[in-house]
Amino acid sequence: MSRLDDLRGPVPARAHDARAIAALAANPGCARRSLLDAAGVDKDAAARHVGFPAPFGQSQFAITRGNVFESLVKENGCAELLRLLRELMGLPIEQVGYRDVESVGSHLRASHTRALIDRAARESEDSAVFYDHPLLSLRIAGHTSYLEPDVVAFRLGGRFHIVEIKSFSVIDGQAEPEKVAAAARQAAVYVLALRALLEELGHDPELVSHDVVLVCPENFANRPVASLVDVRRQLAVLRRQLARMTRVDRLLEGLPEGLTFSLEPDADGVPTRSAGELAEALRRVPARYAPDCLAACDLCMFCRDEARGCGSTDLLGRQVRDQLGGVSGMDEALGLAEGVREPGEGQEEISRLLRLADRLHRECVA
Amino acid sequence: MSEPLDALERRIAELRAEVRRAVKARDTSLARLLRADLRRAERAWDEAVVTEESAESGESGGRGRAEGPGSAEGPEGAGPLPREAGAALMPIREQVHQALLLLGVPTAAKLVVAVNEAFFAGGLRSPQLSSLRRDEERSFRSDPYARPYYLCAALTDRLSPARGLLAASTWPLEARVVGPLSPRVDFLTAATRIAEHLARLAEPPPGAVRLLSRMAQNIPGAVEGGFGPVDPATVVGAARAELEVHLPADTAQRAEVAARAGDQLTDVERLFGAAALSTLRGAC
Repeated sequence: MSRLDDLRGPVPARAHDARAIAALAANPGCARRSLLDAAGVDKDAAARHVGFPAPFGQSQFAITRGNVFESLVKENGCAELLRLLRELMGLPIEQVGYRDVESVGSHLRASHTRALIDRAARESEDSAVFYDHPLLSLRIAGHTSYLEPDVVAFRLGGRFHIVEIKSFSVIDGQAEPEKVAAAARQAAVYVLALRALLEELGHDPELVSHDVVLVCPENFANRPVASLVDVRRQLAVLRRQLARMTRVDRLLEGLPEGLTFSLEPDADGVPTRSAGELAEALRRVPARYAPDCLAACDLCMFCRDEARGCGSTDLLGRQVRDQLGGVSGMDEALGLAEGVREPGEGQEEISRLLRLADRLHRECVA
Repeated sequence: MSEPLDALERRIAELRAEVRRAVKARDTSLARLLRADLRRAERAWDEAVVTEESAESGESGGRGRAEGPGSAEGPEGAGPLPREAGAALMPIREQVHQALLLLGVPTAAKLVVAVNEAFFAGGLRSPQLSSLRRDEERSFRSDPYARPYYLCAALTDRLSPARGLLAASTWPLEARVVGPLSPRVDFLTAATRIAEHLARLAEPPPGAVRLLSRMAQNIPGAVEGGFGPVDPATVVGAARAELEVHLPADTAQRAEVAARAGDQLTDVERLFGAAALSTLRGAC
């Protein structure tokens, strides 16, 4: 593990939140990201330091909107959620228990969550339905990450369900697939963490349902509506990805001695290393840029710039990149298409396709 | 005759203290709100003192402006007073108490604000309530039982203060503790109380009907269909029906916690929660 600490430098490791863990599953092949995550490097700070700040981050309006909607669903002892679960899953009237984990104070939340979940799993008779503000932990590459699901619901068919409250609306029974997918990935992280907790406590991890309850505003009003989302696939991807992360040794082997991404700040809080040095260090680890990275990774702009600089076919998206298998860069691909370059061995097939595409393009444009 | 003036002076002094606290805590938005309240109160004091003087027709020569509580900062422009100010000049704690008396159960700040808006003066804002419990506790600690009532915390089954809930110290301990079933029971009780209060009013305020309709959406059988205004009697019936299911278990749980609280806690803790966690109360 000390090698990872060297990589990070003398700054505290950055804990992963559910969003970050879910994003891991988005680009499993990227060594740069795996390494930075495993070492707990603050990717956002690194990206800003090398001059490529990520263009995203949630808007303050979106955060406020999300919080307001969440508090609406949870107010009065989860009254809205209770109605939704009664309608959706036939929760019996007498099941209304509500426990706020946070009432013990924030420093005890993790242990209190543990105690409450243990009790619920042990004696399901006397347990509450809602556990508000729970705090779960998940070991990722040697570091403990703390995760905060919106609500954990129990007593729906005798199993735990993760409830995820999101403020994007479901219009006429349809929501934006990307947003639902992101929510499902995030919820899968919680399911995984809760299963890990149950396993640790000696209970059956299958007590946690792979169906998560997604609560969103319905149509154009603020009235919440609930639906069940199956996250089995996301769970499988996530598990695989996390298992890979624990095998970072393989990635570490190929690294030059003394490589570090240290962001050690001086007295003014400005990193002591120059941006150039850090960028150089980052370039030593291969990245696997894809346009999807723009939605999930803090370093996306840096990697995109790098990919542009060397004319990599990664910029064109995964599908095109895979088709252009034996072609090393965009220049070569264009050369093949325009016929100014002779196809090398094994490139006949792709060059024929590229020529055809070029001809079609000319015909269309002409 | 000078009673409203006294109340106003007290209110102005309180507001000044709150402004100072807010500035100290660097909460600029709250400070701005409070300053606006302060200015309004000072203006109201100016108006009240003038009307009082004219009523007394100069018997005593009148109190000079310089003695007034507004002298330190001085009113900025003597524009006409907005009429809502008359009612909103009640101290915040009294407004909250009023709402709590109507509801009769430990309540989250948000519902207190909603009830205040629907039935009473309105103009309460949630941020104003955030420091209320701490202020009351400080007051109680320095001078126990000096006030007729305190706004205090509801106690959880660990005897710690429940997050975000406000209660009145005059209620029996059983009503101020919360078990796992209590949030639902309290929600149903609050809906019942609001509905009963609405039924008593000759002209129910539309805001209150909206509030009840919103709450009724989450009570099975309380809404006949659609999102229109609900019938208070139906809501009361439906809420009572569900209450019957939960009440016996909840009462037993609450009695158990209350007995424990009565045995183990000191006076202060009984009102504001067990001291072991008091350092964290800032987070509430």
